[in-house]
Amino acid sequence: MRKLIILTPLVILFIISIFLLIYLLSNKDPNKPPSVLLNKNVPNFESNSLYNPKIYINYEKVKNKKVLINFFASWCLPCKVEHPLFFELSKRYPDLFILGFNHKDKIEDAKKYLLEDGNPYNFVGVDKDGMIALEFGVFGLPETFLINENGKIIYKFMGPLTKEIILNEIEPLL
Amino acid sequence: MKLNHSYNKFILIKLILIFFFVDVIASELIDEKVKKLTLELRCMTCQNQSIYDSEADFSNDIKKIVRKKFQEGKSEKEIKDFLTNRYGEYILFKPLLNYKNLFLWAFPFILLVFSLFFFIYRIRKR
Repeated sequence: MRKLIILTPLVILFIISIFLLIYLLSNKDPNKPPSVLLNKNVPNFESNSLYNPKIYINYEKVKNKKVLINFFASWCLPCKVEHPLFFELSKRYPDLFILGFNHKDKIEDAKKYLLEDGNPYNFVGVDKDGMIALEFGVFGLPETFLINENGKIIYKFMGPLTKEIILNEIEPLL
Repeated sequence: MKLNHSYNKFILIKLILIFFFVDVIASELIDEKVKKLTLELRCMTCQNQSIYDSEADFSNDIKKIVRKKFQEGKSEKEIKDFLTNRYGEYILFKPLLNYKNLFLWAFPFILLVFSLFFFIYRIRKR
């Protein structure tokens, strides 16, 4: 009986450890740390248009809309890969506001890139010093966020989007 | 009159020198603070490197923002909060002590207590 009393806590501890280990190893990619901004309000931002510095955008201007925010740059090769997918998205979801943030890029290079590959964005904002990206917790390009009508970040993806990701993860939220 | 003029000049040079040294010392202090804090921050785009040791674009941005915040008079805790609100606790090498991490911090001690208990029991049994 005494032996059982001694062993029970140890067995419980062992079981807890196993569960914790399973939890730690499941769905945890160390290269993709979880976003703390998920289900939180969109950070404050204000950015001038790539095409006209007198025009600017902030969250107030897209309030009550679903907004897909994409951080991109002309020097970012994975951005080129996902770029055509935004045309398909804007065609299928005309009410979706696609906001591109041109991150740490040269204005001329960004314009050239969007001229050659096309511009799928409803608005292209400039994030020259990377401070908007910092507010969004971005640490690599491309990164995409989906904001709901209430201004909450409901989805975040790090890396280039694929058709499968859009179909399985983004479209159900639109 | 001439003497007075030279004296004023002397005072002016002295003041300029004081301001210069105060500025240098303040800058060095901020450098030290930036180094100390960025050594505790993880470069999220590198493999097991601190922000301080890394020259990645991401790390340089964080170094810049940390310096700016210190210059604005923000405390180390405020800067850590600012960064963890955006990048999560993952950016800190040393996890924070809060209710989410309580088990993580307490687990070694729980294990130690259990081991000691078990050890004493075995000794007494013998």
